[in-house]
Amino acid sequence: MIKIAVIGIGQSLRGDDAAGPEAVRRWREKFPETAGRPEVQIEASELPGLALLDMFNEVDGAILVDAVQSSARPGTIHRLSEAELESFTSDSKSAHGWGVAETLRLRKQLTDAKVNVRIIGIEAEQMGLGAGLSKMIEDAMPGICEALEEEVNNLLK
Amino acid sequence: MKNIEVPALARVEGEGGLYIGLENGKAVEIRLDIYEPPRFFEGFLRDRFLQEVPDITARICGICPVAYQMSAAYALENALGVKISPHARALRRLMYCGEYIESHALHIYMLQAPDLLGKESALELAAEAPEVVKKALRLKKIGNELLKAIGGRSVHPVNVCVGGFYSWPDTKAIKDLLPDLEWGLQAALDTVKLALTFEYPFLEIDYEFVALHHPDEYGVIEGDILSSKGRKLSIAEYETGYIEEHVRHSNALHSHTVDSNTYMVGPLARLNLNHEQLLPNAKKALQESGVQLPIRNPYKSLIARGIELVHFYEEAIQLVKEYKPTGSAHVELKLKAGEGAGATEAPRGLLYHRYKIDGNGMVQFAKITPPTAQNLPRIEADLFALTPRIINMPEAQATLTAEHLVRSYDPCISCATHFLKLKVEEK
Repeated sequence: MIKIAVIGIGQSLRGDDAAGPEAVRRWREKFPETAGRPEVQIEASELPGLALLDMFNEVDGAILVDAVQSSARPGTIHRLSEAELESFTSDSKSAHGWGVAETLRLRKQLTDAKVNVRIIGIEAEQMGLGAGLSKMIEDAMPGICEALEEEVNNLLK
Repeated sequence: MKNIEVPALARVEGEGGLYIGLENGKAVEIRLDIYEPPRFFEGFLRDRFLQEVPDITARICGICPVAYQMSAAYALENALGVKISPHARALRRLMYCGEYIESHALHIYMLQAPDLLGKESALELAAEAPEVVKKALRLKKIGNELLKAIGGRSVHPVNVCVGGFYSWPDTKAIKDLLPDLEWGLQAALDTVKLALTFEYPFLEIDYEFVALHHPDEYGVIEGDILSSKGRKLSIAEYETGYIEEHVRHSNALHSHTVDSNTYMVGPLARLNLNHEQLLPNAKKALQESGVQLPIRNPYKSLIARGIELVHFYEEAIQLVKEYKPTGSAHVELKLKAGEGAGATEAPRGLLYHRYKIDGNGMVQFAKITPPTAQNLPRIEADLFALTPRIINMPEAQATLTAEHLVRSYDPCISCATHFLKLKVEEK
């Protein structure tokens, strides 16, 4: 049996950073049948850091749902492979060492175990302090849920 | 050489920068710029019920939530005049072992070792020595597993309450950790050996070391606050010896002693003051290392963390073997108005809390002094002392040596930014 993990990443108190876990939560409500399958493991994490590595244990595929910031229109859905994620990482001024991209790179250096990683990046508008998603992100949510459902079904094939 | 400036320090928790202003080859200005926003936790805590405090303060830090829970719980227990059961106390020590293990393993291997091996990051280290990084991640993960077994999850665990714990963890889940902990003890001993092979930059400072001291155990919870200059205070007397003040360039307060000295808290302070209370394996590792105490080189904090990693694995094994839930996990609280202080040793150093509560158990006042706020003025003073040694180095090397010094303290900037008083000065 193919096992996959659906992982929503982001902090609930940093504006659109919450888009990842929120999208996973809504997908779960909208597609309870897929979300309830025994081969699907669902995780939500505010700031996974290195613990993300452990979420890849014993799965064949993983979908990370995370907010991203590039120059696209807020609410844009980026569907990326692991290799494509690199283009979103270079400009970070953050001093927190372990972003998602770094952790994925570290995993590749440490293990040969193949995990088919897909990333759903949600273009954020603002990641300031405070709860609540921007309107454009809110409007994009139904589309994000559809995209996530499709990615899950692709991995389970 | 121009001034040394690092706009965003890497491999530290939180956001801060470093500035060393030079004039005629001398440091004229040194600032650790702490621009991470202030957190206002002490404000959030007002008018909250005391039982909420351990879980709210845990959120101050993702690396050392247990330290915040413990200092808060002890402070509030002191306010109520409550003493927890010996079994709950042992479980608190075990939980603290988990936090030390994960925090120290992370810092030794992923945050500081890259500096000593000339690597830009742990990623580069992983490319060259994947086995070392795998070992580091396993060492760290065992600490996380221990926290999960006691507190339900490894980041921001729950279960600690004022009076003890909400419930006893499952005995099997605790005992099942034993084989991993035994592996970890050996790996921690290897870590000390590795730490002794590194070449540390030279810097010797006559520090005032401050740590919690307990006559019967390695000081982590309870005891007196001891200074290497001879000052010994009870936890309740802490604020008579150590004072916090605001400085312009920092969203974190800075601490000093009543005689206006800077001081150091953390692994070096603990090891130098409390080495006699180390458990046998850790004591033996220290003796065999040939390291002379007191260690006065801040870069060598890594060695102290290594020895402590051995100690906390050893203590965890002992406590897991002895673990036997007995009676209620917590004592019943009788609410009354009061005031209490609590201090425990976070992996980064002494963490002090004080609360005033009313007759309904609602918090009226909260004060939290994190370890990094106490170390910040000391780090700046160290950088002053370091500058003459690095001034003739190529700029990149000088910058790296200064950054490495800051990192060797394992500063937790997110924890330290707890208060901001705005002061606008006209020039």
